Amino acid sequence: MLESTTATLDAAVEYAEVEHLSMQQALNRALDDVLTADPKTLVFGEDCGRLGGVFRITDGLQAKHGDARVFDTPLAESGILGMSVGLAMAGFHPIPEVQFDGFAYPAINQIVCQIARMNYRSRGKLPMPVTLRVPSFGGIRAPEHHGESLEALFAHVPGLKVVSPSDAHDAYHLLKYAASRPDPVIFMEPKSRYWQKGPVDMRDGGTLSGARIVRPGRHLTLVAWGAMVARCLQVAELAAEDGIDVEVLDLRWLKPIDAEALARSVGKTRRAVVVHEAPLTSGLGAEVAQLITQQCFDTLKAPVERVTGFDVPYPSGDLEDEYIPNIDRILLGIQRVLEYRRG
Amino acid sequence: MAEISFPLPDLGEGLIEATVLDWLVSPGDQVERNQPLVEVETSKSALELPSPQAGKVIRIHGAPGETINVGEPLVVFEVPDNTAGIVGTVPKDDAPKRRVRLSAVLDED
Repeated sequence: MLESTTATLDAAVEYAEVEHLSMQQALNRALDDVLTADPKTLVFGEDCGRLGGVFRITDGLQAKHGDARVFDTPLAESGILGMSVGLAMAGFHPIPEVQFDGFAYPAINQIVCQIARMNYRSRGKLPMPVTLRVPSFGGIRAPEHHGESLEALFAHVPGLKVVSPSDAHDAYHLLKYAASRPDPVIFMEPKSRYWQKGPVDMRDGGTLSGARIVRPGRHLTLVAWGAMVARCLQVAELAAEDGIDVEVLDLRWLKPIDAEALARSVGKTRRAVVVHEAPLTSGLGAEVAQLITQQCFDTLKAPVERVTGFDVPYPSGDLEDEYIPNIDRILLGIQRVLEYRRG
Repeated sequence: MAEISFPLPDLGEGLIEATVLDWLVSPGDQVERNQPLVEVETSKSALELPSPQAGKVIRIHGAPGETINVGEPLVVFEVPDNTAGIVGTVPKDDAPKRRVRLSAVLDED
């Protein structure tokens, strides 16, 4: 499988090495590459086949790879994930899609009790190489169940890995990387960034494990993932106008979290703010804050701040901008850290 | 640009086909979501079918008087690649706005 992957990548040399793609296109290309390289790969979910996905991520893949490998499923997430368990046991590499974050709840039993545990339960005889794609987070003015952030739920389950790309380049390479893993990976796609274009180096993905500094800075670290990375970059530019040099760390992997990258960054800046869309209480920000505090306690200049969604169900439509951390709320979080004085 | 096909939807009550009465749009027309596309007649009633999405009509199937089965292509739209999904909208990439200013004395110890 690795050899054929390399062959596919080599074939791509005929095209430009760096292409300008939207995240939609990048994910589509990644799935196409994986389907081409690995005949055991199957792509399926609600509207993934004939329609090409509600966000066009699987567009054209059924026509190219056939309806035995790219296909529609009934509106039943427990069935989509239950079938993935059986397919993985039979030696396939399923890449199922749950059409929206909030639709994952009916499949929690299959994800938590089967996919996450089968390898453990069988003493390694039944690995679950399942890559579950979940269009995630908010920001597109959609109704209930279409804007939720489930990373803390998934990250809490032993046996699962969780990753979220923040741009087209990472989307392309992290999806291919996730699909090549022997373990189940929850792949959270920031749906509000689907249409955003960016350069994708088709050959060189760079380091795909761990976190990534997307903007270096000296005074404070903003930790984010998914769609919040772009917002934190905007905030960093604005903070620079006020003389504050902000580093932005894209966590990328939400399980396992790159604790060393947190220590390196905050060890340098000595101040940190974690930003996520999910509700505050028991959100991943708490885990990040603890990892930073444990490693950087002696040098931290202030307690780690969290700027997050609220402890309410995700609001639909017009209230969305009040819920998702906006620029001013993140700036206020930074200000609280800057103002803090010991004693 | 991408092409999206709109097949004749299931009109309910076990109906499996409909006859085209009158087209309300032509190839080349730009239509809005919910804009009436075509008047069809089933064995129960005549009705207008609203467009499931915005886009440019590039093909229509069935001349007036012809019968189309449920699931067969009715209209093909052309839509820009950056069109929204079936649910939600494409976020606007506005210039960042701020009201909060940072003020801090950074002790560089």
